[in-house]
Amino acid sequence: MEYIISVLVLMGIYVILSTSFNLIIGYGGLISIAHPIFFAIGAYTTGVIAIHWDLFAPLTLLIAVAVAVIFSLMLSLPSLRISGDYLLITSIGFQLGLLEVIKHLGWTGGASGLGNIPNIIDGANRSEMFALISIGLACLVFLMIRWLLKGPYGLLISAMRDDEVAFSAMGRNAMAIKLVIFAIGSGCAGLAGGLYAYYYQYVSPEQFEILQSSMILTMVVVGGMGSQWGPVVGAVLLLFLPQAIGFMNFPPSVMGPLQGLIYSVLVIAFLFLRPQGLTFSLKKGSQ
Amino acid sequence: MQAVIQIKDLNKQFGGIVVADQIGLEVHAGEILGLIGPNGAGKTSLFNLISGLYAIDSGSIFLNGKPLAGMSTVQRARQGIARTWQHMRLFPSMSVLENLCVATRHFGAENILNLIVRPLSLKQAQASTEQKAMHTLERMQLHGLAHSSIGDLTFGQQKLVGLARALMNDGNCLLLDEPMAGVEGAAYETIKDIVREEALSGRAICVVEHNISFVKDLCSTAIFMANGKILERGTVDDLLASKTLETLYFGGAAA
Amino acid sequence: MNFSIFLQILWTGIAVSSYVVLFSVAFSLILKVVKIWNFAQAGLMCIAFYAMYVGFNYWALPKPLSFLLGYLLTLGASWLLHHFGIEKLRQRNSTSLTFFIFTLVLSEMMTYVFALAFGTEPLSLTKSIMSPVHMVGGIVISEWDIQALAMTSVVLVLLHVFMNRTKLGQFMSAAADNPSLARLYGINVPRLHVYAFAVAALLMTLGMYLFGQKVSMIPNTPLQMMLFAVIATLLGGMGNVFGAAWAAVALSLLQALSIFVIPSQWQSLILYVFLFVTILFFPQGFSVQKLMAWIGGKKA
Repeated sequence: MEYIISVLVLMGIYVILSTSFNLIIGYGGLISIAHPIFFAIGAYTTGVIAIHWDLFAPLTLLIAVAVAVIFSLMLSLPSLRISGDYLLITSIGFQLGLLEVIKHLGWTGGASGLGNIPNIIDGANRSEMFALISIGLACLVFLMIRWLLKGPYGLLISAMRDDEVAFSAMGRNAMAIKLVIFAIGSGCAGLAGGLYAYYYQYVSPEQFEILQSSMILTMVVVGGMGSQWGPVVGAVLLLFLPQAIGFMNFPPSVMGPLQGLIYSVLVIAFLFLRPQGLTFSLKKGSQ
Repeated sequence: MQAVIQIKDLNKQFGGIVVADQIGLEVHAGEILGLIGPNGAGKTSLFNLISGLYAIDSGSIFLNGKPLAGMSTVQRARQGIARTWQHMRLFPSMSVLENLCVATRHFGAENILNLIVRPLSLKQAQASTEQKAMHTLERMQLHGLAHSSIGDLTFGQQKLVGLARALMNDGNCLLLDEPMAGVEGAAYETIKDIVREEALSGRAICVVEHNISFVKDLCSTAIFMANGKILERGTVDDLLASKTLETLYFGGAAA
Repeated sequence: MNFSIFLQILWTGIAVSSYVVLFSVAFSLILKVVKIWNFAQAGLMCIAFYAMYVGFNYWALPKPLSFLLGYLLTLGASWLLHHFGIEKLRQRNSTSLTFFIFTLVLSEMMTYVFALAFGTEPLSLTKSIMSPVHMVGGIVISEWDIQALAMTSVVLVLLHVFMNRTKLGQFMSAAADNPSLARLYGINVPRLHVYAFAVAALLMTLGMYLFGQKVSMIPNTPLQMMLFAVIATLLGGMGNVFGAAWAAVALSLLQALSIFVIPSQWQSLILYVFLFVTILFFPQGFSVQKLMAWIGGKKA
């Protein structure tokens, strides 16, 4: 039972991550692999603040989101000024580079990670409370993104994706929209990071490496890019995957790569056999 | 009266290819200027220079007396430059009405803060935009297709929607790039009437066209371009009588 | 700063730049001719390495045969990548996002496959990564250094001749500059892509051959090294294969020499700084002419 509860917490976190990543690459069309680093920034910001200042938790989470947004602008502004393709390259450098920095800094705990993050929910029902908060925040993020896409901003995003030149020539600022989408997506990743830090009370650099990015990517691709429910479906399904492998009782050194292998194979299979993912848009075009 | 569009000594070349060679022209409110010339003469390039898609090498462009130097494409559109495209460039993932609604000069929801802080005034603005869009579609007898997707339209209908989309920009400058290409029948007359109406309501219009009868019917003045240079200018009748045009367009022996 | 230490680091930096150059040139070549950012190169590099490892250590093949084995397998994998992956995606008019996801995830997949097969213990091609050394003027020069520099130089010279003097090489540049025009002239563009992959596979295999005798690696290592190749390609200017080579040498030297100015723990970060500097100031690639013109205050 305790185990299912912790999966629920993780599910909420990953729904936030995959939904926000889908906003960036599925809807915004921005090619970036830097999502895990914003997850990390949120987690580390929360951890450091919680350890040193013990602020009110929602406030800390807000700060974590803000820091993630600021970092996202540091990445997106210079890159998008040149072109969308450059964002790809800089996001790789940003992801890998910032992780290196984290591994070498003293106050982030370095390579061994940041532990002893204070507990914010005491009592026997800690996990249940966290599960509730996690799922609740996931719903909030999902609804917020849905509201954004269904409204006039969603129209702008569709038009921008369809023909950016014609879009600009009618007075719409494509660059600003991309920056905003990237910031919102990264901010949500930061929120997920904060939640993660508070629940597990320990963050370390390995948790935000390549396996993370392929996991989130798998959720989005398998679930369906450019559809709102797609990433949710992807997140839910793929979180149960490790449980399925877990039954086979492999040693831990095999589990990690095996999980990664299955995710990679799934992405490639879907990319070729069913590019629209598991969910399909019922309405033509943007959903 | 100040010209809406004023171009002085405009030069632009790409590598060795000259697309604009000392171009100078003026278009006033209510005027319809025709741009004719063989393919590759630099007509569409001139539109791209005006709307800011190409950077100029030298010279200046003024809109209502304001220099456009240093302004991006986005800023120029917001100053009031509306244009259509040779290949229409509509947004296929949206309906006809939606295509029009994002094309206004200013779009409140573009600033994401407005969505949160001023949802009501945004909704009002959206409603009036939709009204304007429907009215524009009615002028073209396309209001029945407002919620159709672009893929369901005929070629002529798409051309009309492209024009309607440009008209959503309430500025006083309209650049039409081959609005008649491939158009015939009722759509032809509709476009002609609408362009005339827009000129009457004060827009300065510049039309690139190969369809000479359209140019004759509509344009008060015309310019003949070849190899980036303006070779002749005057009324359409003047141009048609000119020997240069005959040679360049029809290659020597008169038609 | 001790001058002989400086020379030593300079020399080692140049020697080490050999395999970096090979990887960068391979990446740049594929970008130029096939027009994709081939992140699957990391996966191909893994195949080259582990194939040679198996040949040399399990089957006791002599080095040249191991190399051949490595090359053939990498070549085969490249062909599969091209035929079943890239061409299929191209036929569907896939977006660059799809190509990116595909190539990157393919490399990640190879990383996991090899992690399962060989574990995550660092491995090198030869039992020992030390080779016999000579002292020349106070600098330690190892046999590996000489071998690396010699082989890389020869290969680069051959590549230069190939690209500029042979018909095939010239076709490749033509197809790179203007694929549709090249097609009109009857050039079989997809086949040129295969040839480009064949050349790149050779460069990769040689690079891993040299790398594997000097450094021990884990399956993740090639993916980390891709960053170098990407920065060198950017700096050299896209479409400029030998520009990428020069950039790789420069970057390698800068990274080696940076030890004099920054503490060793931060050295790994130098590359990322370079990446950002490149994107911010030299997005079209670095050219000496442009730099001179900029210094002179004139427009290039």
